[in-house]
Amino acid sequence: MRYMRSILGIFAESPFKPLYSHAEKACEAAYKLEEIVQAYCEVDVEKVQELSEEISGLEHEADIIKQEIRKRLPYSVLLPVNRQDVLEFLKTQDGISDSAEDVAKLMTLRSYALPKEIKSGLLEMAQMTMKTIDAYLRVTERISQLVSTSFRKKDIKEMLELIPLVEKLEHEIDIIEILLTKKIFLAEDEIGTLGVFHLAKISDVLGDVSDNAARAVDRLRTMMISI
Amino acid sequence: MIFDPFIIAIFAAGLYMAWNVGANDLANAMGTTVGIGTLSLKQAIVLGGVVSFSGAVLFGSRVTETVAKGIVPISLIDAHSVMLGALAATLAAGVWVTFATYLNLPVSTSHSIVGAMLGFGLVAVSQGIISMGDIVWVVLLKIAASWVLSPVAGGVVAFLLFKMTQRLLERMDDPLKADRPLRFLEVVASCWVIFALGSNDVANAIGPLSAALGAVGTELPILVLAFGGFGIVLGMFTWGYRIIETIGKKITELTPANAFAAQFGAAATVLVCSSLGMPVSTTHTMVGSVVGVGLAGGLEAVDLSVIWKIVFLWVLTVPIVMVVAATIYLGLMII
Repeated sequence: MRYMRSILGIFAESPFKPLYSHAEKACEAAYKLEEIVQAYCEVDVEKVQELSEEISGLEHEADIIKQEIRKRLPYSVLLPVNRQDVLEFLKTQDGISDSAEDVAKLMTLRSYALPKEIKSGLLEMAQMTMKTIDAYLRVTERISQLVSTSFRKKDIKEMLELIPLVEKLEHEIDIIEILLTKKIFLAEDEIGTLGVFHLAKISDVLGDVSDNAARAVDRLRTMMISI
Repeated sequence: MIFDPFIIAIFAAGLYMAWNVGANDLANAMGTTVGIGTLSLKQAIVLGGVVSFSGAVLFGSRVTETVAKGIVPISLIDAHSVMLGALAATLAAGVWVTFATYLNLPVSTSHSIVGAMLGFGLVAVSQGIISMGDIVWVVLLKIAASWVLSPVAGGVVAFLLFKMTQRLLERMDDPLKADRPLRFLEVVASCWVIFALGSNDVANAIGPLSAALGAVGTELPILVLAFGGFGIVLGMFTWGYRIIETIGKKITELTPANAFAAQFGAAATVLVCSSLGMPVSTTHTMVGSVVGVGLAGGLEAVDLSVIWKIVFLWVLTVPIVMVVAATIYLGLMII
């Protein structure tokens, strides 16, 4: 509004609610993974292509929110938490949708009938990733509650108690990933050397989705524990 | 004597300054309460009007006296020059505040009027009416110190108060239970801020006016204070309500707890300054209090770059207004 002298300038735009919006967007991209893995296992090339584009779109939307949040955090802004922790958290959280997009892109490169045990391994990883993302969102949705009570210690504690589940699920996915990678390497005769390389890469990047979720909650813990 | 054209002009210029205080500073102090949703816009305006008017009339005399005769020894100056000076000072402050408001710069009406009175005093010195030593530099130094100390004090009080409130809230199972009492306290604190504002900022409008009236021998303390209070309320009714609404909508991250702490810190500081007769900036004190709450971890994001802007304007305001006041004074002499 023109013609006013006001104290509005001292109130900077809060990054906290957009942080949760960014979490939702990144997770929305990750949630598409179950479907795309299913389509990939069924060798439905068109559907894989279609879903890959959707994931790319969501990843891009998440990037825009990320940039908006960064714009709100010049050095002059004073936050109740460490500014650097917020930026690191945002970066790792953004990694969730980045990795989801990478998985989708890899799946559009090559398509072939997969051996049964590889299929089931991929599907199992995808399902576990969905569980991790569920748990991840349950943690991050607490952010807005923390904001409304001005970061009460009690509420922070409750949030921190939800974090180990994400880390536990991520660990379980690691185990599944190792088993799956072994199966992929054993299937060289069926899928060829390039196939081994390609699928190993897919399982690796699929594992990155929950890796990033686990890293992000760890960042969140660092951020909140210093309050 | 009161129907002297100069006196009427000073009344008009004083009314304009009072209007400015009501339209901007008062609106700033009240926007926060509307932002939390504790009071509706209508309730806030009525309450703000009554309370700021009472602050001006009941507690405004000390600061008014400082502005009127604390800086420039008007008893040593002839009545005509005092009238010219009072008019020049009020007009200069009005021009600068209007210009700054147009540019959305958070300048202080208090700083402006003090600078303007000093400008008048220095012109009187240059004309040989008084000597350099007659200007009460000690009071000016005290005022300058209070300009630095008031935001800091507001910040410290707000910081401590927020930490204490937060401690209490920590102990409660259901923090929502504290919501109602905190909202009540917040309204009390905001009334207090408005009262403090009325008591301090009324001098910005009527300080020079009461100097002029004193010089012509028609001192009307209560009536002049009421006139200033009326101008402030008028400013809020005619323009300030829009700013209250804007601020109420834009400041979304205030809660009863952090708003209470910020307002209480500012109110306590400004009221102490009023009783010491120090014309401080209510807006700057509120900014200091908000920073205090921010440092206590009570706000989602506080932009500290505004502080530099305020310091910069603080340094700029006094010399600019001095020059403008002196120019207007010399211009009026020709007429």
